[in-house]
Amino acid sequence: MNSSRPDLEIIVHMVPASARVLDLGCGDGRLLAELVANRNVQGRGVEMDEANVRACMSKGLSVRHGNIEEGLKDFPDGMFDVVILSQTVAYLNRPLGVMQEMARVGRSAIISFENAGHWKARWRAVCGCGSGNTLASGQPRVRSITFSQFQEALQQLNLQVEERVFLRGPGRVSRWPSLWAEAAVFRVAKA
Amino acid sequence: MAMIVHTQQVTFDQELRLQSGATLRPVTLAYETYGTLNENRSNAILICHALSGDAHVAGQHSLHDRKPGWWDDAVGPGKAFDTDRYFVICSNVIGGCSGSTGPSSINPETGRPYGLSFPVVTVADMVEAQSWLLDALDIPSLLCTTGGSMGGMQALQWAVSYPNRVRSALVLASTARTSAQTIALNEVPRQAIYADPNWNEGEYYGKEPPNAGLAVARMIGHITYLSEMSMREKFGRRLQERERYGYDFATEFEVESYLKYHGNRFTARFDANSFLYITKAIDYFDLSLGRGDLADAFTDVKAKFLVLSYSSDWLYPPEQSEELVRALLRNGIDASYVEIKSDYGHDAFLLEVERLAELTRDFLAKVERETSGASGSAEDLTASHEAREEKVYPLASWAAKTRGEWRLADVRKRETA
Repeated sequence: MNSSRPDLEIIVHMVPASARVLDLGCGDGRLLAELVANRNVQGRGVEMDEANVRACMSKGLSVRHGNIEEGLKDFPDGMFDVVILSQTVAYLNRPLGVMQEMARVGRSAIISFENAGHWKARWRAVCGCGSGNTLASGQPRVRSITFSQFQEALQQLNLQVEERVFLRGPGRVSRWPSLWAEAAVFRVAKA
Repeated sequence: MAMIVHTQQVTFDQELRLQSGATLRPVTLAYETYGTLNENRSNAILICHALSGDAHVAGQHSLHDRKPGWWDDAVGPGKAFDTDRYFVICSNVIGGCSGSTGPSSINPETGRPYGLSFPVVTVADMVEAQSWLLDALDIPSLLCTTGGSMGGMQALQWAVSYPNRVRSALVLASTARTSAQTIALNEVPRQAIYADPNWNEGEYYGKEPPNAGLAVARMIGHITYLSEMSMREKFGRRLQERERYGYDFATEFEVESYLKYHGNRFTARFDANSFLYITKAIDYFDLSLGRGDLADAFTDVKAKFLVLSYSSDWLYPPEQSEELVRALLRNGIDASYVEIKSDYGHDAFLLEVERLAELTRDFLAKVERETSGASGSAEDLTASHEAREEKVYPLASWAAKTRGEWRLADVRKRETA
């Protein structure tokens, strides 16, 4: 698995074997393919980009081309064991609505995101070099998410944390994660 | 190297019960096959044609043919539907005019062509007749049913009518229920045929056929197959054989000449009554008919699906494929969906063969891998709830069970007390 995305490895370990998995914003399908190969899951994906959807198909995955925010409402309650949203929540227009839907269609939801409260990000904000992407980066509008904001959102949605891992590079962070962790993976479920 | 094929015919002297309640007998089907059926008889792919298609999907009938079959770009050795690997079948629909029983066939009761006494057929009836062909070819189940437009409707209908005979369906540029817009775009061409005095309520066989009406019908069709963008690119405002406007009603724009050419050419190979019957079958297509919800149509479906739509297709726009995919997913069916970005409009399903080939290869490989052996063994999300609980959450399901037993024990205790 790609070393630049240590959160994906953590996610693989959080998914029970043979689970029914829905990966929202599954990209080229590398996480789903890994889950199918190593955890024997029944995987489904949703992806917005046509070339990525075709890449998923070439890995033998079943993927629906489309928008995450529109697609979830069609699934009945509890259709999946796990619904994954890896490093995508910052790009959503209605992240809370999606998280709520994830907890409805899945027994549990796994969400990973980059920590906007990491000390480097805070430093960039303080020294005036901006905390988000620069004009030149070409990234779409991206939300900055800190751990406390995320916890607040979970509370608001009445979701409880079943497991969480804070990451710095490929390693885990246990002390002062809101400052030291670059990314986090949360497994949550309806309280 | 040209692939030489021959159209074959099979006649069934038995009654085909139609959706309308009417019957048809005898039923002749024209069909072509490509490639070789394997020993397990498990590599058959049925390609279903659209409104104006026929059984001649690929290859040439002779070396002198000007053009190959209608989907030659996608069917053949090494192509999307690889005839080195698969046994491909394509048959002319009933109601058609290219070798299968239709309104131009002889009505055995009168000894004359049916004309409008031919019963109205539906997509489900076309599929029913095709199932007889599979029986005749001794093919228990299909690796895949596929087609675009009305061909996609048949592929869908196959998965619904014969869940145990279809391992996968590849549906292109189609819909699960024909929209008002499509019905309208079928009705105007029909009106053009009715308005041709030669049509004569369908009684024109042996006389001058309603070619003017049929040509207009085809022209309207051609407009709906293109997109605004592809028309602009293909013709723009260019003039044909003229430098400047003539201020008269001659054919002067290239687009006019294109439509006229295709309209006229169509009359040489197509029967106006067949056009009426087949467009009617398209209009009647609605898998949600008699059901509360479209999703209810797919409760018994076992096939895996790949649904493709094309971004500039306004005859069967992507939203209609998305509606279909939602209904499939709601049933836990293994379905993939791709909206292919293309400027070619509805015609894109015939033209965008490169991406089609890539997706088809990947999809068929998956279907072969995951449904090998008996048909309908598709893994799906609807497996028994209890079995899944035990597999995925062994502890929780054990706990739930024991709790249940304790409760039961409590009840028994109380009962015996």
